[in-house]
Amino acid sequence: MQGNQAIGDNSGSTTAGRSAGSRSARRRAVRRAAAPVAVTVAAAMMLAACGGAKKNTDDKGGGGGGTLVVDTSFSLKTADPGRTFEPTGIMVTRPVYDTLLTFANGDVTKPVPLLASSYEASPDAKTFTFPLRSEAKFSDGTPVTAKDVVFSFNRVKNLKGNPAFLLDGVTATAKDEHTVVLTTAAADPALPFRIATPALGVVNSKTVAAHGGSDAAGADQGDKAEQFLNGDSQGSGPYKITKYDVSTEVILTRNENYWGAKPKYAKVVVRNVPANTQQLNVLSGESQISLDMSPDQAVKVKGQAQVLQQPTPTTAFLFTNDNPAISPTTSNKDFQEAVRYGLDYKSLLDVAGAGSAQAAGIVPSFFTGALDPGKAIQRDVPRAKAALAKAGLNNPSVDLYYASDVTINGINFGDLAARVQANLKEVGINVNLKPAPTQTALDSYRNGSEAMGLWWWQADYPDASDYLAFTPGELVSLRAGWKAEANPEVSGLAQKAKTATSDAERVTAYKQLQESMNKTGPFMPLLQPAQVIAANNSVKNLRYNPIWYIDVDKLG
Amino acid sequence: MRLSIGLLLCVGITVLAFVLTHSVPGDPVAANLGDRAQNDPAAVAAFKEKNGLNDSLPSQYFTYLGNLLHGDMGTSQQTHRAVWDDLGDKIPASLELALFAIVLALVIGVGLGIVAAVTRNGWPDRVIRVVSLAGVSMPVFWLAQVAFYLFSFKLGWIQAGGRLSPGAIPPDEITGLYTLDSLLVGDTGTFGEAFSRMILPACVLAAFNIGVLTRFTRAAVLEALGNDYVRAARAKGLPESTVIRRHVLRPALTSILTVAGLTFGGMLAGTVLVENVLSWPGLGQYAYKSALNLDLPSIMGVCLFVAVVYVVINLLVDLLYGVIDPRIRLS
Repeated sequence: MQGNQAIGDNSGSTTAGRSAGSRSARRRAVRRAAAPVAVTVAAAMMLAACGGAKKNTDDKGGGGGGTLVVDTSFSLKTADPGRTFEPTGIMVTRPVYDTLLTFANGDVTKPVPLLASSYEASPDAKTFTFPLRSEAKFSDGTPVTAKDVVFSFNRVKNLKGNPAFLLDGVTATAKDEHTVVLTTAAADPALPFRIATPALGVVNSKTVAAHGGSDAAGADQGDKAEQFLNGDSQGSGPYKITKYDVSTEVILTRNENYWGAKPKYAKVVVRNVPANTQQLNVLSGESQISLDMSPDQAVKVKGQAQVLQQPTPTTAFLFTNDNPAISPTTSNKDFQEAVRYGLDYKSLLDVAGAGSAQAAGIVPSFFTGALDPGKAIQRDVPRAKAALAKAGLNNPSVDLYYASDVTINGINFGDLAARVQANLKEVGINVNLKPAPTQTALDSYRNGSEAMGLWWWQADYPDASDYLAFTPGELVSLRAGWKAEANPEVSGLAQKAKTATSDAERVTAYKQLQESMNKTGPFMPLLQPAQVIAANNSVKNLRYNPIWYIDVDKLG
Repeated sequence: MRLSIGLLLCVGITVLAFVLTHSVPGDPVAANLGDRAQNDPAAVAAFKEKNGLNDSLPSQYFTYLGNLLHGDMGTSQQTHRAVWDDLGDKIPASLELALFAIVLALVIGVGLGIVAAVTRNGWPDRVIRVVSLAGVSMPVFWLAQVAFYLFSFKLGWIQAGGRLSPGAIPPDEITGLYTLDSLLVGDTGTFGEAFSRMILPACVLAAFNIGVLTRFTRAAVLEALGNDYVRAARAKGLPESTVIRRHVLRPALTSILTVAGLTFGGMLAGTVLVENVLSWPGLGQYAYKSALNLDLPSIMGVCLFVAVVYVVINLLVDLLYGVIDPRIRLS
């Protein structure tokens, strides 16, 4: 950043005689000196005007090849599927590495076969059998075998990276060359949903091993294949990665060996672009798709571009710490009820913008087991005030912690926190805002020291079981001081939901669990922000996928 | 002697950068591992082991310094590549932008400064002073947004965003500077596009420095114009262009050079904002992302590079003083 310097502006103190003649002579001299500069600039501008770099494709886009340009604000660390777990990483690895199962047409309620031709789950949900498609092959033409799947899964586990938890308690074996069997220690009906996560994409085991890849114990220190995979992908998907730059752009090129339907675009360029610039780029045709506009920006482009706008699988939530040692006030159950009914959820949606939705429960609205919108908590100020009186608290003051430098789908958490503060003031609760940079705020959040916190949870995979982290004694609950023994009723319902195997049982169990949490838990689910995807009208088949935004290989 | 001082300065900068980056409240583990992985002691241990975070801070620093002496700047936690390789990829883009911007700033800033001085208190002088004041007053991130909206989106005069259009093939790498490389291989089409895409970010980057250089040049030229030897030169009947070039500009050049040197260093820092707003794939974007991810080796690498640039430029400026003004004796 350029700071302000002390800038000299000496008006001069010459006493020289300045006749009109000498002044005009000086001006003529200046004009003569300026001439070559003007000529040079003009020549450069002419060259720029007729410029055009070589392209290796016809760049008009559309069905006959061409380039699709997608603008997004990067959240990207790696293109190695065994390590990737960031939104942009998931989006770019999805069309490069086929998974055994996937989600089609944006429907995340039902995994469908991809590399597997079908799948079968045992009645106890402990054994899953996946016969592989015989025609599937990697980008180098090598057939995909069960050995590759086992290698890929074991590698993810042993790398101990962000996606490793997806395979906790899962053992992968090759029954034969074209059949994979996954067995789990406990009933795991959510496994098919996790299998569809791009991090579990299948890599070419022979090539990856030849470039330092390892699926053995100790791979977290011994595996050296990431750099290779960042430059030269080894998947069986419709695209290959031909350029990967973590801070600027990723280029995908059509995999001519793809075993399935060929994608329409020969090349996909995913660029790191700020949201404001994305809006202008889509309107000017510099890019075809923008993934990060806010709902306010979406209003400005409607009519000039196609816009998809719907809730995301991210839940913004408030918690009041259940641990008396952290705060005797926030751990009081009546105080928690006062907060729950004192919040004006509709006013929070105003902050989030069009397309956002109130979160009825902690599980996002389009996952199996989500609560019906009619079950969402509605503001009830008299009830909130009564609860506060019952708690024996008179105008209590509490600190609310949040990340001040983060914007989730156009929502500034500072604005959201200010709205929460105003809501609770109306029921007699004084909220002191405690903003901090994300990295600092994460520390206090993760060590469970926040009296009240305003945070968000983005689905790791599209199943309600991902939200068991909010039940007593689990990952997120411990941050809110909700210990394992805190609520036997909720713990029992969580266990029931975890072990239910049939779809009907699971739906019922998760709904009961969330209703119970909404009555007695320290979490207040607030809203699901809106995802805005804007695309040039030339783009066909645009659909939103809650996990990886868009299926670039299905676009026309 | 000067080189020794420069080296000592660089070592001092490594200490300062190391202490500052480690003083930032935040944990690299939290920044780089997700919610689930952070709850897994094995994953946390693996990350710390891999990135040498288990040692004490002094031990980490001396390890870093030892590696640095062997040309190893560490491995980036975000790209998982050698920081040296990352910098090698990013520096040419920022260098090209900064060089073009400094040329623009020098030509326009010095030119306007001279015009303002020789037309002192006339209308050109007044206009130029207002323009230069505007240049130093406008925040670069705002100017970048406005310039992009006006010239790229609204008027469509200039394409912006990236060094070439998406899907374009860069020229064969010789220097890493697209404009120069494309000229060297005779590819005028790529040169034209690379040059046109550089105009907007370079102008935005140069705007502040044009303002600074204009004001300094004006002051320096006015001071020189008042000297007796200038009056004597005119009295001898020398053409006005010769008087300005030989007797006014040359003595004024030392202070202009000082400011130019400082502004070039400042430009490398200024690229952080310009590159992020206008999607220029250089060191600025890399630095920003490194800071967001608390990627300590990368932050150190960027700091060290900018520091070295400052030291080198200051050294060059010192040496050039002697060339421009023989009265200056270099010890």
